[in-house]
Amino acid sequence: MKRFSVFIFLIFTGISFGKINVVTTTTIIYDLVKNIGKDEVNVDYLCRGNQDPHFLEVMPSYMLKLRKADLVFKNGLDLEKWLPQLIDGSRNTDLKEIDLSTDIEKLEVPTKRLNASYGDIHPYGNPHYYLAPNQVKIMLQEILNSLINAEPEKADYFTKNYQDYLNKFEAKMLVWKQKMQAASNKPIIFFHASWIYFATEYNLDIKGYVEPKPGIPPSPSHNAKTIALIKNTGVKLIVMENFYDDSAPNQIANITGVKVLKVPVGVFGMEGINSYFDMMDFIIDNISKYI
Amino acid sequence: MKINVFILFAFLVFIYSGFNQIFGQSNINPNISLIGTFDTQTFLGKNVPDKGKLVINSPSLELFIDDYLNPYSLAAADISFEDGNFDMEELYASIVRGLPLDAQIKAGKYLVGFGKLNQVHTHAWQFVHRPLFHQIYFGADGFNDIGFNFSFILPTESFYSQLDLGIFKGDAISKTEVSDPDNTDMVNDWRGTNPIFVGRLGAFFTLSDYTNLEAGLNTSYGVHAKSDNFNSVGVINADQTLKYFYGGVDFKYKYRPDQYTALTIQGGALWNHRNTLRISATTSGPLPRLDQHRINTFGGYLYIDYQFQKQYTIGGKYDYTDGIIGDAPGYDKLSNDDKNHTQALEMWIGYYPVEETLAIKLDVQQLFFSNDKNSQTSITLDMIFSLGPHKAHPF
Repeated sequence: MKRFSVFIFLIFTGISFGKINVVTTTTIIYDLVKNIGKDEVNVDYLCRGNQDPHFLEVMPSYMLKLRKADLVFKNGLDLEKWLPQLIDGSRNTDLKEIDLSTDIEKLEVPTKRLNASYGDIHPYGNPHYYLAPNQVKIMLQEILNSLINAEPEKADYFTKNYQDYLNKFEAKMLVWKQKMQAASNKPIIFFHASWIYFATEYNLDIKGYVEPKPGIPPSPSHNAKTIALIKNTGVKLIVMENFYDDSAPNQIANITGVKVLKVPVGVFGMEGINSYFDMMDFIIDNISKYI
Repeated sequence: MKINVFILFAFLVFIYSGFNQIFGQSNINPNISLIGTFDTQTFLGKNVPDKGKLVINSPSLELFIDDYLNPYSLAAADISFEDGNFDMEELYASIVRGLPLDAQIKAGKYLVGFGKLNQVHTHAWQFVHRPLFHQIYFGADGFNDIGFNFSFILPTESFYSQLDLGIFKGDAISKTEVSDPDNTDMVNDWRGTNPIFVGRLGAFFTLSDYTNLEAGLNTSYGVHAKSDNFNSVGVINADQTLKYFYGGVDFKYKYRPDQYTALTIQGGALWNHRNTLRISATTSGPLPRLDQHRINTFGGYLYIDYQFQKQYTIGGKYDYTDGIIGDAPGYDKLSNDDKNHTQALEMWIGYYPVEETLAIKLDVQQLFFSNDKNSQTSITLDMIFSLGPHKAHPF
């Protein structure tokens, strides 16, 4: 009877022993946590790599994942507006929410009163810092601290994994920087305003966006302006996330001859993209090639 | 009365805001959003009132206020203004965490979880017209009632399942059958004064990365009509209380291969088993004698909606219900009617220019009646705007 009671208690409370159960909101965070936590964490993610993290349907299956979790890592800066509903639905009172944007050097923080006429503006700053390796290093430090806080006795293990991964990461950063030197100061157009951290890190000259305002679908009049912009500034490349509709960029490309590059912005966002390194390799190899 | 409720609520909000400003203990304001609906309609069919005329309806609005009360609970209010009247659509508080067995409790007035669709506000539906069986068995506003709901997640490991048990006042059930206008002296109280019980067992299955299925079993039991006069006037051979049992099933299937494409198939059905009154075969004299009878009736709907590109949806719905839509309430009408039925075909196309901020829907519905009532067609152009913060879409 006692055993049965313990069994029932464990089922209803969702307690498990040993590894830290982690859920991440995006696959990029998933990859980073996996590289630091390795065998001592069970990691799962909510938003797939080929999904737009701005919009995720509130599904009970996500609640089930969060119900069993000890930690949930989020990108923050209002990217995951759907997360509070999922956490409420999970009914997990012990779940710790870790916001990885806390120490990020935030860009495009609005300085005026916002309203919907500006489009989908994030009130705390642009949340797409994960595309800039220097910002990802800050994320890694935050992940390390959180895992150590959760399991202090495994601090050495997590720190060693962190250091190993950081060494590889910094080596990759050198390669990426070298490749992107050719793109420095070159004009470029992006589909959505999610590349400011990337462009700042690699010194790209953003001439404009295919979306007239963040999150607002392209309109014929804005497409005409973009075509004129491309002709006047010599832009050769439009870069867009692979989950957006490419019909407007393709129309612009047909008229101007500009190259449209669709890239994954999540791990598992495309076949063969199985890590943050794979994703950044793909993005940087192609941008440096076509810009 | 309804206006008084609104004024009282507005006064409380005002006082709350004032205190907030003066004492400055919290700068956290609740989420406030306003949903406006403007529709124009035309009706076609034999002997249909306003046939062929363009009917421009007064705009209606919903003011929705919600937020956390504290780390454990949240509260919401939904005030509507329609046809010149304010109404409290919803007002509830929920304890969402911290309870034993991870239960959640919801108390107040709100859309009851009998079927998935009933819990979704009408402005969020892809189509315009409420399923016929909702109108017959719950009333024009759906199953909206005052009470408590206790919700539990069941320990199924491989899929999500949830059990909801509720106790409600029963207004939504009795609303369809207020006193028979021809017999007010005889049956003076058709309101369900005893509480009713509602239960739902729901399960959610992830079939693939892009495909999900949610299914539910629903039930409700209670008194739908009560009168001390049933037997005292000597013309009715019936219990003092007339009971009902609703059994229901519902499902929602969605295939969403990418952000711009989604195929949704959703359906629901209700089986109604109840005691009701019928004119006795032994009736003689000027006053009819009514006997108690048991009836079994049914209603259901099925719709398919296809979102193509980012901004467009197209869909169709089939509806069937026992009872005649538009009938006046009575002891043998609407949910007490097992002789007649109504069917409907509905088709729509929706345009959503920028996410959920604006929706324009063109909707055509044809109603077919089994009695001598002529079929009728309604064509509706609906514009819905949403001002304020938007929550993420539930599945």
